[in-house]
Amino acid sequence: MSVRQYAFLIALSVLLLVLVAIFFKCGEEKKLIPEPVTQMLDSEEISGEESETKKVFLFFLAEEDDLLHAEVREIQADAVLILQAKLVIRELIKGSRNEGISPIPVKTKLRELFITDEGIAFVDFSKEIQENQFFGSAGEIAAVFSIVNTLTYNFKSIKRVFILIEGREKETLGGHIDLKRPLLPRFDLAANLPGSG
Amino acid sequence: MQNFKRAFVFIILLSPGILFLQDISNLKISIKDTDDSSRIILASSKNLSTSIEKSGSFIMVRIRADLPYKIQRRSFNSRYIESLGWSRGAGYYILNIKTSLAKFSYVSSTLKAPYRLIIDIIPEGTGKREKGEIIVESNSNAYSDSNKVDIDQGLKTIIIDPGHGGLESGAKGKFGTLEKEITLDISLKLKEIIERNLAYRVVLTRDKDIAVSLENRAAKANNNRAFVFISIHANGFFRKEARGSETYFLNLNATDEEARRLAYLENNSSELNTVEGENEDDIKMILWDMAQAAYLTQSSQLAELIQNELNTLLGTLNRGVKQAPFKVLTGVACPAVLVEVAFISNPDEERKLMKSEFQNMIALAVYRGLTNFLKLNL
Ligand SMILES: [Zn+2]
Repeated sequence: MSVRQYAFLIALSVLLLVLVAIFFKCGEEKKLIPEPVTQMLDSEEISGEESETKKVFLFFLAEEDDLLHAEVREIQADAVLILQAKLVIRELIKGSRNEGISPIPVKTKLRELFITDEGIAFVDFSKEIQENQFFGSAGEIAAVFSIVNTLTYNFKSIKRVFILIEGREKETLGGHIDLKRPLLPRFDLAANLPGSG
Repeated sequence: MQNFKRAFVFIILLSPGILFLQDISNLKISIKDTDDSSRIILASSKNLSTSIEKSGSFIMVRIRADLPYKIQRRSFNSRYIESLGWSRGAGYYILNIKTSLAKFSYVSSTLKAPYRLIIDIIPEGTGKREKGEIIVESNSNAYSDSNKVDIDQGLKTIIIDPGHGGLESGAKGKFGTLEKEITLDISLKLKEIIERNLAYRVVLTRDKDIAVSLENRAAKANNNRAFVFISIHANGFFRKEARGSETYFLNLNATDEEARRLAYLENNSSELNTVEGENEDDIKMILWDMAQAAYLTQSSQLAELIQNELNTLLGTLNRGVKQAPFKVLTGVACPAVLVEVAFISNPDEERKLMKSEFQNMIALAVYRGLTNFLKLNL
């Protein structure tokens, strides 16, 4: 083999390596749900932990008025966006740790959540979310916007929220608020909007 | 170097012009007469902070303004508005509206994106009836004869929408009262009062306990070329202490950009019926999907007028006029509101809602709000 042929072979293998590297890198990014599972941390547990945490706020009702009140939680900050968003919604369903009232039935399950490039979060709940005797419009508005406000308030890249039930589009939760279009947040329904840390 | 200097001078000369364009907002005033009122609309490219005061035959509108406004004046001819005068102070403008009326009342409402302040001037003595006359009203035909002249031209239709129905019961009270029952009771009473007193045809979206989809309720309004759409609901909430009455009109749930595009509809609502061309179906679909966008000004006015009467007649807590993206309102192509008469989840209000007397009072309040609206929008 001549020097030119050697050079050609070396160039070819370098190119191949680069291609392989790019291939795997892309594959990693496309993977929607990475393996490590993050957990909701109590504030007391945090001191010992090495990993970075961030504050998030969940919107619940309170005894004293008809507004949504932000309640703080801490979550691991290094988890990917979708995992964080799922975590926050599951915690919202679990309910308040204070005296707050959750407008979402506790038996509701989060089935799926994904976020489009346009910043629309599709959140798919189990059918239990509709089973609530308090769904007059005031109750329904509280339920819908506790979800929408919680997602948009904590994650800047989520601009609107599309609520699905059992994987399908639904007209409304209980006969009032339009779920056929992605919803913008309504922070005017909130009693407090704390800064996130 | 010379060129550079020239360019620099040019920029300096230009900059005040640029500033001028950016800082001066427009304020456009239009005046319109209806059969028994005069309406003045202040439209602005920016949201205004205003206060209104009535004194003698004048109405004074104080507008906060940190920067100058370009005011577009136009000559006008109006029955109840004689003249307009402007004065300016530090940080505010005052618009003086001189009416030709010794006694009058006014109704004001505001709309955003684009901002508008709407004031309707109504002469007094146009027969607003008193609280005590409720029984007379539902038993006599006093109003009928004079009003039923319209018959020959065909009656206009008012749609009343009793919320929920069938398996979908809506909110539920502690004593077992269902929202769907209360809404039907009130709607039937309202239909009777309107038909007894006004020359309008009333169509209910349901007159018995059946399920009707929200889209079909809106379709019923549009198929009947409805003049007004009123949805009746009873409220439910997690706290049993929540109480009171509120009236909703549609919130577009749109970004600023979408709202700007939809605002176009408001000035061109006739296009809902007359879109032609290649993409006719597509465009019609989009228009019908958000048809209510074209009627928000009137819907907010109707909501204000009904809420006023609820406050006067019911003695319930005034929760005010609100906006939310109610599915049943989005497709309705006429002024449309949703009335939450009281809370079925509040035991005190549930007990009241079960009583026929209270239901009558609600129907009368909605009827009076509607009548005031019709006077302004004939
Ligand atoms: Zn309802």
